[in-house]
Amino acid sequence: MAGPIDPRLLHRARATVPFLVALCVTGVVTAVLVLCQAWLLARAISSVFATHRTDGLGRWCLLLGTVFAGRAVTSWATEWLSHRAAAQVKSQLRGDLVSARLSHPTDATVTSSTLITLITTGLDALDGFYAKYLPQLVLACIVPVVLAVAIGLQDLTSVIIIAVTIPLIPVFMALIGWRTEAAMARRFRVQTRLANHFADLMTGLVTLQVFGRARAQLEGLRRTEGANRSETMRTLRVSFLSSFALELLATLSVALVAVTIGFRVAGGGMDLRTALFILILAPEVYLPVREVGARYHDSADGMAAAEAAFAVIERGRTPVGGPAGSSSAARPTEVPSPREAPVLLEGLTYRYPDARRSPGGTPASGGAPAAGRTPAAGGASSPDRVVSPHTPPALSGLSLRVDPGETVALAGHSGSGKTTALDCLLGFLTPESGRIQVGGVDLTAAPPASWAAWRRRLAYVPQNPGMMRGSVADNLLLGYPAATDAQLRDALDRCGGTRLALDKEVDDDAEGLSAGERRRVALARALLRVEQDGAGMLILDEPTAGLDDATESTVLATVRALGASVLVVSHRPQVLQDADRVITLESAQVAS
Amino acid sequence: MSRPQRSPASRLLGMLLGDVPRGRALLALSVLLSGCASGASVALMGVAGWLLSRAAEMPPVLYLEAAAVGVRFFGISRGVFRYADRLVSHDLALRMQSALRMRVYRRLSGTTLLGRRHGDLLVRVTADVEAVLDLVVRVVVPACAASLVIVGTTVLLGRFSVGSAAVLLGSALLAGVVLPWLTQRVSRAADATMTPLRGELADRTRELAMMAPDLVALGAEGPALHRVLEVDSRLRTAERRAARVRGLASGGQVLAAGVAVIGALLIGGQAVASGQMGGRILAVLVLTPLALHEVFSEFTSAAQTFTRATGALDRVVEVLDAPPVGSGDSVKAHVDGVHVLAADPPGLHLADLTVGWPGHPPVLAGLDLDLAAGQKVAVVGPSGIGKTTLAATVMGLIPAVGGTVETTGRVRYLAQHAHVFATSIAENVRIGDRDATDPEVVSALLHAGLEMSPDRIVGEDGATLSGGEAQRLALARVLVDHLPADLPEPQPPLLILDEPTEHLDSETSAQLMDNLWASAAGSAMLVITHDPEVMARCDRIWRIG
Repeated sequence: MAGPIDPRLLHRARATVPFLVALCVTGVVTAVLVLCQAWLLARAISSVFATHRTDGLGRWCLLLGTVFAGRAVTSWATEWLSHRAAAQVKSQLRGDLVSARLSHPTDATVTSSTLITLITTGLDALDGFYAKYLPQLVLACIVPVVLAVAIGLQDLTSVIIIAVTIPLIPVFMALIGWRTEAAMARRFRVQTRLANHFADLMTGLVTLQVFGRARAQLEGLRRTEGANRSETMRTLRVSFLSSFALELLATLSVALVAVTIGFRVAGGGMDLRTALFILILAPEVYLPVREVGARYHDSADGMAAAEAAFAVIERGRTPVGGPAGSSSAARPTEVPSPREAPVLLEGLTYRYPDARRSPGGTPASGGAPAAGRTPAAGGASSPDRVVSPHTPPALSGLSLRVDPGETVALAGHSGSGKTTALDCLLGFLTPESGRIQVGGVDLTAAPPASWAAWRRRLAYVPQNPGMMRGSVADNLLLGYPAATDAQLRDALDRCGGTRLALDKEVDDDAEGLSAGERRRVALARALLRVEQDGAGMLILDEPTAGLDDATESTVLATVRALGASVLVVSHRPQVLQDADRVITLESAQVAS
Repeated sequence: MSRPQRSPASRLLGMLLGDVPRGRALLALSVLLSGCASGASVALMGVAGWLLSRAAEMPPVLYLEAAAVGVRFFGISRGVFRYADRLVSHDLALRMQSALRMRVYRRLSGTTLLGRRHGDLLVRVTADVEAVLDLVVRVVVPACAASLVIVGTTVLLGRFSVGSAAVLLGSALLAGVVLPWLTQRVSRAADATMTPLRGELADRTRELAMMAPDLVALGAEGPALHRVLEVDSRLRTAERRAARVRGLASGGQVLAAGVAVIGALLIGGQAVASGQMGGRILAVLVLTPLALHEVFSEFTSAAQTFTRATGALDRVVEVLDAPPVGSGDSVKAHVDGVHVLAADPPGLHLADLTVGWPGHPPVLAGLDLDLAAGQKVAVVGPSGIGKTTLAATVMGLIPAVGGTVETTGRVRYLAQHAHVFATSIAENVRIGDRDATDPEVVSALLHAGLEMSPDRIVGEDGATLSGGEAQRLALARVLVDHLPADLPEPQPPLLILDEPTEHLDSETSAQLMDNLWASAAGSAMLVITHDPEVMARCDRIWRIG
């Protein structure tokens, strides 16, 4: 039952290794102290029992006091060491999770709420693993062996009972676990579904209220709650069986040892001191093993959290722009500015791992009926990145060229891959095939550092611009950190934000700014990059909410006057008219 | 049961015990079973100590049989009692959890949530409710059972040696009351510093996840990562402080056991030497507190869980105790069949209306509007001015502060982000009209422009639908109508649309509006929007604020 430590955990958090070694040392010290304690107690009791005098009792008590003090110290040290190990791993995983997110900025399979849960409460399950399970696992490997050897030196029969029963414990638990695994997994799924019903109703409560349906759900909730409880109890009846086997074996063995040595003492085959020594040690042999069993759930929770974190982190392992290992050692290539060199996209094709999750719009209508019959809920909970060749590509064979100073507009139906094309150009997505070249430099297989260099040449305004908490000025400074207040003010004014104060506070989720104001801040941010930071290309995705486009036309004119090129996604006549060239994307599904 | 000073969490537990049939009896049973399980291991050591000492006097084996049977009995019964205790206490705790969910749901479904910032509240309550399980299984039952065992052991040992029983009780108080109290105080202080830090960590993570494309495009990954890790390191410092004290508590636990054991040895040894006590009792006196050590440790872990669980339950109590606002369920969404048919065409008449959240200052005043069947009016005004509050008032979810609201027929509402329930498409549509037949559901889906099998199961939070699809599903909900075959067609409802296209790209939004305008031509519509393209479709624009 001793759940193995995920090797990735050790590998990932090498810094914890000293703590783990220290834990093992503490385990050995604990075992030795337990031995001393048993020996001193047996000695003191048997001596008083035999002589009816208290000679030397004071000294033994003093020694016992020292031993207990020593055990107090080791118990404190164990707690502290395991905490430090957990904290180390958690911090490292948090950093890795965030980096993984940043290496795939548009990946919709890891929702932001999943990431938040994982980073805040999810990883805390590792506390249970490190603080409760792991120290016991270490103790369970060391203490029984040391104590059993000590008992064996005194009495062979007792050590045989112990040697037989200790291995039986994991064997029985494994047998029970193996016997019930399939049934448990099935029940767990049912249970999860039933347990989620309440959460589902709570999240949708407002929707139910406006349709006058909220109170009517009470009866249904009562029923699922009942079903959920009986399902859970059925699962628990089985899962508690393994800990029942553990408790039963451990306690029964102690009883057997006690009775056996009792009769040996009565028969004169053993003295009281030895018998007491063995009796005191016997439960201590089983204690760590029992604790491991009792903490097993902490371990399972911790492992599940680690598993979930690794799934996200490993997805982020393969950074966009080619395999990390092969070329990461290479020096980042200089990427020419689009003000001087043409940008070429050749035969770009991209397929989303799950066609239904393409950002930006409706999924392939051809793909939906096929997916409709399969258990869709399963697809949502296990976001495997298996790209099926049958999934229609979101972008198929797009080629385009943007010359220095040119404005190119991308048009096409929703779902035809306009945003996908921009994501490929920005290096957020790795195209399945095709190439991206800037003035002869092939970016497709370039290392991440080259992509970073390329992005420094770009100013990008997405459909839904992100805003961080802070002031409007803070958000503008993200575009060009060296800007002066006057430059910020000027950029914002020219993007239609004359009425926005620079020190206006932006809350979570851009609360405090309307969709239009957000767009203007993002535009100003991009303008600063082009004017002040030398970015050579403005990439403008169509806004989600309809906004007046007069300001945007002005901004586009400013950018063109600077000699920078523009790639704009839009279907508005005004924008299309102003562009030097319009490229209309065919709906990808039709092509396939 | 000191009535005036009961904490909210304990009041809640009492209430829930009352909700569960035979709740108190089940609680007593699980405490008893848990006490028997812990008691069995203590008794095992005590009786075994007696057995060995008696054996050392070399009596006929017959005299040892009873003790040997006792030892074996306790050896077996511990596991059995523990298993039974776990089943009983979990069953009780799960029943109490269900009872709490019912209470929370009943309370929240009866208070109007539209227009309040409630997202955080609902998610938090859902998670907080689960603390009941921890509080019963990990705190109440083990702590009561441990007290039972300690009192029982003290009384039994007191019959042999009052002095050593007193030492045992003293160390038990130290380990069971003083140390947990100290730990709890410290962990509460630590929680007080850590909770805001966790919130901060969540905020910064969310910000980073939401604006990841912007950050990467702007080359600002490094500072963004640092913003998150900086909170992490502050959190780590706070956690370290808490862990240090927890470690001290667990060390204190060992010392308390040591005091009990050494005390028993000294006092018992003196008693044996002076002939006040038989020699074979000494082993019992010393070994019993040694076995009790394990029981002591229950208190520390119970104290840690207690802080966390009561914190969560206090928040739940806050929700349960909050006075209800408005009516909760809209009464205008469904009007009984006869009334619908007899009703005038859908319309809305507002005269000198003042709206506001009950208990708060009014947000909008002097509103006048007449809306007849087929008329579409766009409601325009700065965000936060109270447009959703106006919608809630028109639907009758909250009372008008002043003036009159008159609606005829039914009123239906399309939100900017309607929830998609984890069930079939058809069941999601039937939220709009419970009695809708299969063909009626299909027809509503068709009108909403959603070509999807009604049997398709949509995942948790509609995870398998795109934003556009989810909004179309919400539209189908608004459009669905059950038409009894023998009755004439009912009047279309008055529709209130609240930023219906806010999260959609302009093309999807245009298609959605086309569908809506085609399907609800006869409806009066109140369209709250910022979107100039939506405004352009309306007959007139009503600027408020």
